[in-house]
Amino acid sequence: MRSRAAADRCELADGYAPFILAVASGKGGTGKTLVATNLAVLWADAGLSVLLADCDVEAPNSHLFLPARTDKLTSVESKVARPDSQACNACGTCSDLCAFGAVRILGGTPVVFEEICHGCGVCVSSCPTGAMGECSLRVGEVSTGVAKRSQRLRLVTGRLDIGQVKAPSLIGATREEAERWDADILVLDAPPGVACSAVAAVRHADALLLVTEPTAFGLHDLELSLMLGSDMGLPIGVVVNRDGSGPTDIAEFATAQRVDVVGRIPFDRRIAEVYARGGLIVDELPEATSWLRTISSWIEDVAEGSAPSAADGLRERAGR
Amino acid sequence: MKSVVIASGKGGTGKTTLTALFAHLAAKSCCTVLVDADVEGSNLPIALGVEEASCEDFKGGAKATVDTESCKACGACQTVCRFGAILRDEAGVYVFDQLSCEGCGACARVCKAGAIKMETGAAGSMCAGTSSAGRMSFGSLLPGEDLSGKLVTEVRRLGLKEADDCDADLLLIDGPPGVGCPAIAALADTDLLVAIAEPTVSGVHDLARLAELAYRFDLGVAVILNKADLSAEGADWIREFCAERGLPLIAEIPYAPDIAALPTMRFGWRDYEPGTASPGMAAVVSAWRAVGGLIGVDSRA
Repeated sequence: MRSRAAADRCELADGYAPFILAVASGKGGTGKTLVATNLAVLWADAGLSVLLADCDVEAPNSHLFLPARTDKLTSVESKVARPDSQACNACGTCSDLCAFGAVRILGGTPVVFEEICHGCGVCVSSCPTGAMGECSLRVGEVSTGVAKRSQRLRLVTGRLDIGQVKAPSLIGATREEAERWDADILVLDAPPGVACSAVAAVRHADALLLVTEPTAFGLHDLELSLMLGSDMGLPIGVVVNRDGSGPTDIAEFATAQRVDVVGRIPFDRRIAEVYARGGLIVDELPEATSWLRTISSWIEDVAEGSAPSAADGLRERAGR
Repeated sequence: MKSVVIASGKGGTGKTTLTALFAHLAAKSCCTVLVDADVEGSNLPIALGVEEASCEDFKGGAKATVDTESCKACGACQTVCRFGAILRDEAGVYVFDQLSCEGCGACARVCKAGAIKMETGAAGSMCAGTSSAGRMSFGSLLPGEDLSGKLVTEVRRLGLKEADDCDADLLLIDGPPGVGCPAIAALADTDLLVAIAEPTVSGVHDLARLAELAYRFDLGVAVILNKADLSAEGADWIREFCAERGLPLIAEIPYAPDIAALPTMRFGWRDYEPGTASPGMAAVVSAWRAVGGLIGVDSRA
């Protein structure tokens, strides 16, 4: 067990693994950031040490609700092939072997299309003349800092450079940075969608919260997210946001899919107004604590099974 | 023919709802082909209904698989894999993680036992069909697959082919959220990017990132402020941002119950006729006229 003093600040990890909660959704704009930021604050206020990693690197918004004092900023690079045309004899081995069509010999000269190069190194190791080398290309940055609101809450934010396409590798770097810090719980604010970016953000989590809305669009995209989540074998809880705004019955669907609706946030114009100006519902709406506690209690139950000490922490410090 | 992409950095700002309404309006005066370029959450077919869709498989990238019988457990594959896709379990057996595999084939090249095969399967589908507002192309990526951007490019190409076949005036594209690979694929060779912004801190932050992307690609941008009355302060942020950057703010659409209710109607709104009964719908009509004016397409509706 770790000492309680350590929980007062996030310190560099020494083998202690936090409980990892991923907050995701197929559809955009369902309330992932709303849920992730407010849960993080609920727990930090209850005495837990909390890490919040914003993995929506194309549109990172958590920091707008939880400003932090940045104490570390890292540039993230990814490898791309870089040929030396002087040494190249235009044999075409690289172009034949590249699985992504990222290397071509054009007019006797090797050309690399950096946007589609995966940096796998196959062309480098197979070039008979040693003409293929590698260089690093900046894709974005990862910043981290303690939230101004609470010493017990640290934010890690990945931010993709505009025009760059390698979001998944930046998401990987964001999670690596987050996992260097010690905490009771790590909350991952995932990007929308179900492709490689979403996979990179939610993999190896201990639990997955899927935030949806009671609309035909929300239901359709929830179905895709459930497929992804069950492929990964994660415990899944569904949160219905803007509950009551439409006739679509998420609960019926969830029952048929054998997943639980573990929380509901009502359709309430005040929530939209608080969010619009960058506020937190846990601070401004008295009822918000009970909506969030319902979600939290599901997470406590999951943690009970996979990480009992984290579950104890969650329960004890949440004052129950 | 002109092409317009409806996009937003932030998700859930109303891209699909507005695309569907614009499609209904466009169908009255010009021949339009629709493209749903959000292959990770394809919702335009739900909004407009699609009949007689013909679909084909979208081939994904290859994935490495190992034949554990012939594997000699030398570990060469694991050394050469840069994506952490090859793990060694407690029993010393090499396990290939399909979700991490990027299909480069480096492992298969170094395997002396010939135990590794690269296999290609379907990673999704792409379709074309007839919607209530014209021909539409759309696609769907299987959950967990990569190559989202490539499928967007294919779906867009399918839409272009449809547009050529019927000599369309307009290609109307419902874009994906974000500014990464799928968004860039959707924006390629477009005449106008219509950015849907919401009056929130996230909305203005993500609009700024999308506008920056459009600037890099030298694309014309017009902004629509959606759910405009949700926050007076937020609406001012969007207005100020547009004024500073010289971006035309072509419409402000209030948060209107009749518009907000549309996505909740699973099969109802394919027959929906946008009227001008509500202030929200009047704003949608004027937004559509402004878009038509900017690209020189008849949008009298």
